[in-house]
Amino acid sequence: MRSKRLLGFRRRSRVGVNVVMVLIVLLLIMPLWYVLNNAFKVEKEILRRPLVLLPSAATLDSVIRSFKAMKYPRVFMNSAIVFALSCALLISAGSLAAFGIAMAKSKLLNAVYVVLVAMITLPFQLAMVPLIFLLKGLRLMNSYLGTSLVYSGWFLPFVVFLYTGFIRTVPKELEEAGRVDGCGLFRSYRSIYIPLLKSITGTVLILRGVPIWNDLLVPIITISRATMSTLPLKLYSFIASSGSSATRWNLVFGSTFIVSVPILLVFLFLQRYFVRGVVAGAIKG
Amino acid sequence: MGLAGLSQVQRRQLVCFLFTLPALAIVFVFFLFPMLRALLFSFTNWDGIARTYRWIGLKNFQTVVSDSSFKQIVFNTLYLTIIYVPVLNVVALLLAVGVYNAGKAGNVYKAMLFFPNLLSMTVIGLIWNIIYRYNGLFNQFLKIVGLKVLVQDWLGQVNTVLPAMSVTIIWFAVGYYLLIYLAGLNTVPVEIYESAEVEGVSGWQKLVRITIPLIAPSITINAVLSTIGIVTLFDLPFVLTRGGPGFKSQTIAMHVYAYAFQQLRTSYALALAVILGAFAILITALQLRFLRRREEVIL
Repeated sequence: MRSKRLLGFRRRSRVGVNVVMVLIVLLLIMPLWYVLNNAFKVEKEILRRPLVLLPSAATLDSVIRSFKAMKYPRVFMNSAIVFALSCALLISAGSLAAFGIAMAKSKLLNAVYVVLVAMITLPFQLAMVPLIFLLKGLRLMNSYLGTSLVYSGWFLPFVVFLYTGFIRTVPKELEEAGRVDGCGLFRSYRSIYIPLLKSITGTVLILRGVPIWNDLLVPIITISRATMSTLPLKLYSFIASSGSSATRWNLVFGSTFIVSVPILLVFLFLQRYFVRGVVAGAIKG
Repeated sequence: MGLAGLSQVQRRQLVCFLFTLPALAIVFVFFLFPMLRALLFSFTNWDGIARTYRWIGLKNFQTVVSDSSFKQIVFNTLYLTIIYVPVLNVVALLLAVGVYNAGKAGNVYKAMLFFPNLLSMTVIGLIWNIIYRYNGLFNQFLKIVGLKVLVQDWLGQVNTVLPAMSVTIIWFAVGYYLLIYLAGLNTVPVEIYESAEVEGVSGWQKLVRITIPLIAPSITINAVLSTIGIVTLFDLPFVLTRGGPGFKSQTIAMHVYAYAFQQLRTSYALALAVILGAFAILITALQLRFLRRREEVIL
């Protein structure tokens, strides 16, 4: 990285900036520490020392109990299936459509593209109610496919927009060269373009995949059967059903922790991509 | 068949069009069509189940608007928009400047500030619901820093629930907007600051006169994204307060859900959803116009 001059301050105040930033960051991550350390304590210890984890008092008891009570493996699988199916639909249908839009020099498809882009900012709540009656009619309530199709319909406009923007930056000669070699359009999509779409697909996964994984609004209306519940929905109903009057603190912290672990692990390993993905998406948008 | 009669270019266009069909079909069936239905049925007494319905004009809208909760939910939505968008953007920009100036450690700060944004809003809502309780972490913190007078039930009171909710949403979202500002800052050539330093321009002036005008595009992006985000936000406020106490923290987006799935008043839900859609489009259009113009003036 190039050496940076300070934006507002002189160089010797870099130490000062760091001191202030450390304080701010510590303050802002306090809520996360609050959950993390309390997930490994028994209830009495949570109430006595909410912010200190004594090694002698550490226990996996809350985590194990929440894991069992939530039926975690099943719920995790539900979340994983909905996530995988939705992302598969978004990536395959989205990139293929974007390829078509970018390759055709067609006024009609350009108009379609403009309409799709305009749809990005429309609130989901506008479609929500008739959508549920539609799903009921198609027998797609309480189903992985139904839930995934809802996400696909909602997010495809944005995904097509991202892919189209990217494909338009790829030199046209690439496809033309393929055509000379006797590649049909679908072949050149599959063997020339798909390998190029890795980074933009990463952006799609971060900007739309992560929100799907975390979402409550869609499952709360499409899923009513407990065995089909996704992680956020299960967490919500789990805490709501245990009742606020008799909140069992160990289960609250244990369950919030185990619901957050998968994304925490992914973030630890793929941190760089997250930062890049957010920025790439925003600049295109 | 017909295909044989087409020219090379036409055939190519036809294939391209076929490529868009799967996506267009999904968007149409599962997004656009339900929206159009919502728009149409908001003028009828359709309840979602009965086959027959009739045109009743603006009656649903009249009922929704004259409902005692309507003023409150519009107020709440506007309150969140007007407080949240500027405060979030100022905080995100200042933190981005801090991260930028922090040198190598900046990457660590950036990752930590961004992380809450990856957690489910259900998790965030539950955590902060506990933090804001009377014997919760927030009040304990206030006691420690000597602000014992401020100790109160933050989510249970009419006049503290919205500010408390705004703080939580900003805490959740700030890392995302920080990243976009940081990317903007990294495009500003360092030489500008160097020559400003030579001329003895103060730190604050550099921020206001140089940095902010040069990252105007990031400001536009963030302002628009955060406005759309807050107007349609559901999960976080729903889990944090469920709109309470009473309707004091209920937003329009949450009330569409309440009408449709808690009170089972389909036609009111449709009318309110149409109002929400119009509101979202209007605000985005106004903002884009205003901010684009400002950008031109500054540049």
